[in-house]
Amino acid sequence: MSERAAPAGPSALAPWLATIAAYVVPLGFVLAPMALFLVYSFFSVDHGSIVFSPTIANYVRFFTDPVFLPIFWRTCLLCFTVALLCVLFAFPVAYFLTTLRGRSRYMLLVLLLVPLLMSYVIKIYAVRSILGGNGMLNRALLATGLIDKPSMLFVFNLNAVLLTLTVLLIPFAVLPIFLSLERIPKALRHASADLGATNAQTFWRVTVPLSLPGTLSAMSFVFVLAIGDFLTPQMVGGQSGFTFGRIIYSQFGTAFNWPFGAALSVILAAVVILAIRLGGRLESKHGGAK
Amino acid sequence: MKILKAALGAAALAAGLWVSAASAETLRVLAWEGYADPDWVKDFTKQSGIDVDVVFVGSDDEIWAKIKGSEGKDFDVMAVNTAQLQRYIDADLVKPWDLSKIPNQKDVLPRFQDLSKITGMTRDGKVYGIPFCFDSIGLIYDTDKVKPAPTSMSVLWDPQYAGKVLAYDNGEHNFSFTALTLGIENPFQLSTDQFATVKAKLLELKPNVLSFYTTADEALQIYQNNDVALIWANYGQQQLKAMQKAGAHVAYIAPTEGSLSWLDNWALTSGAKDPDAAAKWVNFLLDKKIGAELSERTGFGNTAAASSNANDNDKLVWLESVEDPLKRSDLWNEIKASQ
Repeated sequence: MSERAAPAGPSALAPWLATIAAYVVPLGFVLAPMALFLVYSFFSVDHGSIVFSPTIANYVRFFTDPVFLPIFWRTCLLCFTVALLCVLFAFPVAYFLTTLRGRSRYMLLVLLLVPLLMSYVIKIYAVRSILGGNGMLNRALLATGLIDKPSMLFVFNLNAVLLTLTVLLIPFAVLPIFLSLERIPKALRHASADLGATNAQTFWRVTVPLSLPGTLSAMSFVFVLAIGDFLTPQMVGGQSGFTFGRIIYSQFGTAFNWPFGAALSVILAAVVILAIRLGGRLESKHGGAK
Repeated sequence: MKILKAALGAAALAAGLWVSAASAETLRVLAWEGYADPDWVKDFTKQSGIDVDVVFVGSDDEIWAKIKGSEGKDFDVMAVNTAQLQRYIDADLVKPWDLSKIPNQKDVLPRFQDLSKITGMTRDGKVYGIPFCFDSIGLIYDTDKVKPAPTSMSVLWDPQYAGKVLAYDNGEHNFSFTALTLGIENPFQLSTDQFATVKAKLLELKPNVLSFYTTADEALQIYQNNDVALIWANYGQQQLKAMQKAGAHVAYIAPTEGSLSWLDNWALTSGAKDPDAAAKWVNFLLDKKIGAELSERTGFGNTAAASSNANDNDKLVWLESVEDPLKRSDLWNEIKASQ
C-alpha cells in the first residue's frame, strides 16, 4: 500500500506546487511591491524620516502645486509624440520586412533588434556625442555648408529628449507591427487585386486597417516605455528638458521624500495602465484579422 | 589513523589560529577607499602590534546604517565628513578624542590647527573629529575661452557664457554656493527671505546653463562634444586632473568669496573597545609622508603636508548640514521645472 501511495504523493502535490509557484511570482514580485507603493503614497515625511500615519497630502500637493501638473502634461504630450514618431518610422520598416522572403527577412529582423542587446546608458552616451554642439551631426551639417554655425536646436533641450527617445524605442515598435502585418493572409490582398483595386488602394483599405491592432499596441508600448524613462531626459534634457520621470527620480534620490515619490509613481502607473487599456480597447475594436 | 591524526592536527591548528586572532588586539576601521591603504595598514601593524580590520564604504548613508545598526559597537574608528558628524554626536554614537594621545595633530597644516574654528568639529569644548582629508568644490574653466582667469563664481552668470556653463544637479550645494556668491554669511542656514533671493538668482543662472551633470565622467563627455567654458566642479581637483589627462585645456580656481569644501574626519565610535589603539591609528596617519601619499594617490588634500588642493590663503567653507534638505530639493525642482 505504502508503495502505491508513495508515487501518488508527489503527483498529487505537483499541481498544487505549480499553482503556488505560478501565483508567488506575480504576487510577490509584481503586485506586492506595487501595493507597497500605494501604501507609501499615503505617508508623509518629517525632517528626513517617514511618518507612518495616513494622509492624502501628497495627492493634494500634486494637483494644487503649480509645478507638477504642467510638467505632467508636457511629459504626456512628449511621450505621445514619441509614440507617434516611432510608429511612423517603424511601419515602413515592418512593411519592408514582410516583403522579404525566407532567411533574409529574419536576418534583418535580428539586425534591427541587436540594439536592444546594448546597454541603454551606452546608447544615450552615443546619441549625446552625435547631438552635441560640436557633435557628429553638427559637424556634418557644418561641413556640407548647410549651416554656418553649430545649431543648438537639438542640443540639451526637449527636442533632444524627443529625438533620443524615438531613436532608442523604434525597435520596440517594429516588432508588434511586423507581427500584425505578417498575420494578414496573402489571399486577402490577392482578392483585393482580383477585384480591381490598385496597389495603393489595397494598402490603404486592406493592409493598414488589418494592421491596426499591432500598430496601436506598438504605440501604447512605446508610450509606456517613454513615460517611465527618467535617464534619457536626465542625460540629454539639459536645463529645459525637465520631465515627470526626473521629478520622481529626485524624490527618491536627493530629496528623500519617498512618500511623495510613491504618490507621483502611483499617478504615473495610473496613466500607464490607462494607456495600455486604451491600446487594448482600440485593438479589440479593430481586431478583424483574428 | 594517519588521517585522523592529520585532521586532529589541522583542527588544533585552526583552533589555535582562531584563538590568537581573537586575543590579539584588532582595530576595526570603517573608511572610504584610499583612507586605509594596505601598505599603511601593514606599517601600522608592524609599528604598533595592533591588527587592523578595514571595511570600506561607498556612501554617507552606508556609514550611518553600519554605525547606527550596531549602536557603534561594530567599529572602533570611522571616517565621516563635517556635515555628517553632527548627527552622530546627537545620537551618542561617537566619543570625544583625547588629543594628548594624538601628538601629530599639533604639526598639521595651519588651517587645521585650531579645531574649534572648524564648525561642527567640537561640542562643549570636546573634540569629536580629527581632520584627515579634504577638497574644495571650485570652478573649472576653459583657458582658451575664459580670459582673464575668473576669481569668483559670479562669472557663471556672465551673459557672454550663455549656454556654455555646466552646472551640477544638486539643490543643496547650488543653494549654498549661490548664497556665498551673494555674500550671505552662513550659506547653510538660510532664512525665508534669503531662500527667495537665492532662488531668484538661480533662476537667472538657468539661461547660461547647457546642462546639469551628475558624474565627473558625464561632465567630461559633455565638455568634449559641446562648447563648454565653465564647469561648477563638484569633484574638485580629481575632476580637473581627469579632464587635463583627457587633453582638455582647463584650469581650476577656488573662488574668493569662499569655496564649499568637504572635510573628512576620523571619529571615535561610542562602542570603541580600545580608544588608545584608535588614537594610535589616527596619529599614525597624520604623518607628512602618508599625507603626501594620500594626496598623490587620490588627488585629495591632506591635513599633514601641503598639497595643490589649497593655498594657505584660500578661503575654504567647510560643508555643514543644511537647515532643510527637503525644502532645498523642492525649490531646486521648481527651478528646473520653470520655463
